[in-house]
Amino acid sequence: MADETTLTAAREEAGEAKPAAAPSAAPRGDAPTDDDRATNFFKVAGRRRTPVASRLATVVKRSLALVLLAGLWEVLPRVGAVDAVFVPPLSEILVAWYDMLLAGQLPEHFQASLIRSLSGFGLAIVLAIPLGLAIGWYRPVADFLSPVLELFRNTSAVALLPVFILIFGLGETSKIVFVFYACAWPILLNTVSGVKTVEPLLIKSARSMGLGPVRLFQKVILPAAVPTIFTGIRLAGAYSILVLIFAEMVGAKAGLGYLIQDAQFSFRIPDMYAGIITISALGLLFNLLLLSVERRFSTWRTS
Amino acid sequence: MSLQTAEQNLLEESVAEAGEPSAKPVKIGIRNVGKVFQIRGSDRPFTAVQDVSLDVREGEFLTLVGPSGCGKSTLLDLIAGLTSPTSGELLIDGTPIDGPGLDRGIVFQQYALFPWRTALANIEFGLEAKAVPKRERRERARHYLDLVGLDGFEHRYPHELSGGMRQRVAIARSLAFDPDVLLMDEPFAALDAQTRESLQEELLRIWEKTNKTIVFITHGIDEAVYLGQRVAVMTSRPGRIKRVLDIAFDSREGDLRADPRFGEYRHHIWTLLRDEVAAAQEQERTIG
Ligand SMILES: Nc1ncnc2c1ncn2[C@@H]1O[C@H](COP(=O)(O)OP(=O)(O)O)[C@@H](O)[C@H]1O
Ligand SMILES: [Mg+2]
Repeated sequence: MADETTLTAAREEAGEAKPAAAPSAAPRGDAPTDDDRATNFFKVAGRRRTPVASRLATVVKRSLALVLLAGLWEVLPRVGAVDAVFVPPLSEILVAWYDMLLAGQLPEHFQASLIRSLSGFGLAIVLAIPLGLAIGWYRPVADFLSPVLELFRNTSAVALLPVFILIFGLGETSKIVFVFYACAWPILLNTVSGVKTVEPLLIKSARSMGLGPVRLFQKVILPAAVPTIFTGIRLAGAYSILVLIFAEMVGAKAGLGYLIQDAQFSFRIPDMYAGIITISALGLLFNLLLLSVERRFSTWRTS
Repeated sequence: MSLQTAEQNLLEESVAEAGEPSAKPVKIGIRNVGKVFQIRGSDRPFTAVQDVSLDVREGEFLTLVGPSGCGKSTLLDLIAGLTSPTSGELLIDGTPIDGPGLDRGIVFQQYALFPWRTALANIEFGLEAKAVPKRERRERARHYLDLVGLDGFEHRYPHELSGGMRQRVAIARSLAFDPDVLLMDEPFAALDAQTRESLQEELLRIWEKTNKTIVFITHGIDEAVYLGQRVAVMTSRPGRIKRVLDIAFDSREGDLRADPRFGEYRHHIWTLLRDEVAAAQEQERTIG
């Protein structure tokens, strides 16, 4: 008899809960919380709950701007509205892109850039997360490091590039260190704040179940901080490409930044645009990759 | 006038009952406990609770009411071992409380579920702390999920559950590691009336089934009378125990809230609280 009341109660509540729970039944990635404009296009295309017609309409609407942009890029230079020498029609750029791809030029530069940015980015993840956890968790570490961090944090990475070149030379090392430096900050700061902003009630609840500091950290602090850490990682991912291109423009013999700079100097304008498009694509790809990893790690996240 | 006599009767009864030797041993002993907070940026110490003495017997359901800010949660934290008293002592089974432990489980008003864990994994949390093997953990978690009427919801994350369901999970989590004592801090205060009533009933059912000692904080007088075998009324801050009332009904069958004695108890507690609430409000005004 008692069990009966339980069941009905649960059912009642389940019924009442359903409307609230319904949105979460949609694919998780569709949470409208991601402010990433770059990836919105893809996410909307993947939405499942909306009826087919409206889904199609959204896809068309979303791609319309892109198609329009491509069309304008093609037509305006051709009709002479913009100078075709400085802004060649899109088709010419795509041809140049394809030629560079076949010639092996593009893959070579692409690879050079990718290795540098991934190295710096990876290094930043490996070093900044543990450091951030230590700073966020241990008061003495925070007190000790805070002044130094505050100083460096307000020193632009770009301003330090000459220093890196001076110390590490013009080779790969200085570029990787440069990328590392730029990537480390968003990861570090987000990790620290992720640890510091864990809901105190969760800590209290875990402590009441007898968890010591180590287990508390492992079972509560760390998982609670993961979303914030990922925000930092995603920011760093964008930075890793951004600052690398800059470094490659200042002094390099390979890489997409070098390609763009070199193409501009030698007036191979379509090649320059091809390089720029490649960088955009790389950035987009990187972000998508990180987003999907993030989603895997934080399926539970609501907002 | 008739109310006056009813109150008088109740009082005499409670005195009489309290005087009887109780068979059950004392589970939680609170002896002249005080808690003083040192407020940052102020040299004036802040007394949250003062000289509280109270015994909770094994298997007892005690409810605790008092004006907001009178130190109810502070007292619960002390029993939980999350903080230590500045004076007096707290005992569990006759030995001083020394930090938190799995012999006591807490249920908070705000559920305090781990949002990255499913309902089932949340219930397993305390069992992990207790180093129960994985298979047994699963089984036990499922059992308690059933007990609170949530079978079928094991893989839901907290944000996919309603408030009432979340609190059921929180209760199941505390029951799962089988503590002797359940400490509940206004657990149903954030729920709508209907959900609250069904959870109250279930809590009573679980209590009867499991024989836990329960200390239940509430600011609802009805809730205190409905659930408690005894109701402890606290004064405004610094919190002290003003009165402990025995609640006894001839029968719990039917609509208890319609029982005339329910109304009498309710009124008595209301009278006790009225002055305290006024005092608490006055305090807030003068401090703010
Ligand atoms: N850690 C703390 N430091 C300082 N003051 C506190 C602390 N915890 C509670 N208090 C104060 O003690 C008083 C009692 O708090 P609490 O026990 O939460 O009241 P209740 O649960 O009865 O509403 C409040 O005035 C509160 O501000
Ligand atoms: Mg409270």
